[in-house]
Amino acid sequence: MEMSLPTELRDEELVVLAQEGHRSAFESLVERYQRKAYRVAFDFTRDREEAKDLSQEAFLRAFVHLKGFDRRAGFYTWFYRILVNLCLDYRRRRGRISLEPLDEEAAGVARAGEAKGISSAPDHEIAGKEWSHKITAALNALPAKQRMAFILKNHQDLPIREIAKVMHTAEGTVKAHLHRAVTALRRNLAGWIEERES
Amino acid sequence: MMRREKLPQGGCKKFEADLVLYYYGECPDPERQRLEAHLSGCNGCAAFLAGLKSVLPLTVESDDPPASFWERYSREIQAKLSAADQKSSWWGRFVLFLQPWPVPVLATALVLILAVALTFTKGKWRSEEFPAEEEALIEILPLAENLEFFRTMEVLDTMDLLEAGGGVGETARRSWGGVKV
Repeated sequence: MEMSLPTELRDEELVVLAQEGHRSAFESLVERYQRKAYRVAFDFTRDREEAKDLSQEAFLRAFVHLKGFDRRAGFYTWFYRILVNLCLDYRRRRGRISLEPLDEEAAGVARAGEAKGISSAPDHEIAGKEWSHKITAALNALPAKQRMAFILKNHQDLPIREIAKVMHTAEGTVKAHLHRAVTALRRNLAGWIEERES
Repeated sequence: MMRREKLPQGGCKKFEADLVLYYYGECPDPERQRLEAHLSGCNGCAAFLAGLKSVLPLTVESDDPPASFWERYSREIQAKLSAADQKSSWWGRFVLFLQPWPVPVLATALVLILAVALTFTKGKWRSEEFPAEEEALIEILPLAENLEFFRTMEVLDTMDLLEAGGGVGETARRSWGGVKV
């Protein structure tokens, strides 16, 4: 059953309509959250296609299980929980990536460029790419839950209370994850930051 | 004077966790005031906080996919939702058919059928635990025990009768050599 929906409908109203079988209501929710969902997945995977697939899978699961959503939490909290679990599963499937391979990969790309005697990009662009690799490697080196807490706070700016709901854990645990993640990132990135600043 | 445990370019270890929360605006009030008072006099913690301010925003990698990406995204997700919708529709129809009124009606019908069946087949059901011979034995066994009891009682009665008739008394006198019992 399809119908045109006013865009100003609140999440709860759209959820009720979607639960009654109006797919267009769910599509409105997808449209509302697809960029945020993609962003979380991208921060986690740092890969555009993987982020697209993960965020779409989260929407699909939310759609299939929508009838079971009791609306005690907000839709986006419930949906984020699905997305976060998918991201954590993705991480488990992929395994933890160590710092070294990425650094070596970046160095390998640079060496290949030097061997060919070409400079395809200006220095600041290369430095930017190296920095990006370094950040990615430092984030990948974090345990999955620390990384998720860090991404939801640092990148998504969710309140800690909300992150605890999304991650199905206590606020104190989120604070501990966040502290450990920041400490580890500082430690891993300290040398590079000094180089950058000098 | 509080003890300072130096981390690599860090602040006081005691305040480090609070400084992270403070950076994110998540440090609650009593701790926040205590921290601000400490920050005004501690260069290490002030440097730690400045480090967070300069490093953490750099960890956010900007990614702005082009419009074509989002068009593809929308097309794909609509196709996936449509497929999921079709897959679930036959099952959904079945569940919907069962949901509102047929469930109580079906339950009542089932109870009625059971009641009628039990009424008309009463006594026709027998235990399948033992074969027929064993079952018969199990039924007879208590009776047999009772029979043994009755037989004993019969013997006692006979003895009483004999005693009354003098049969047993005479026998006893003979065996005790004339001593009166």
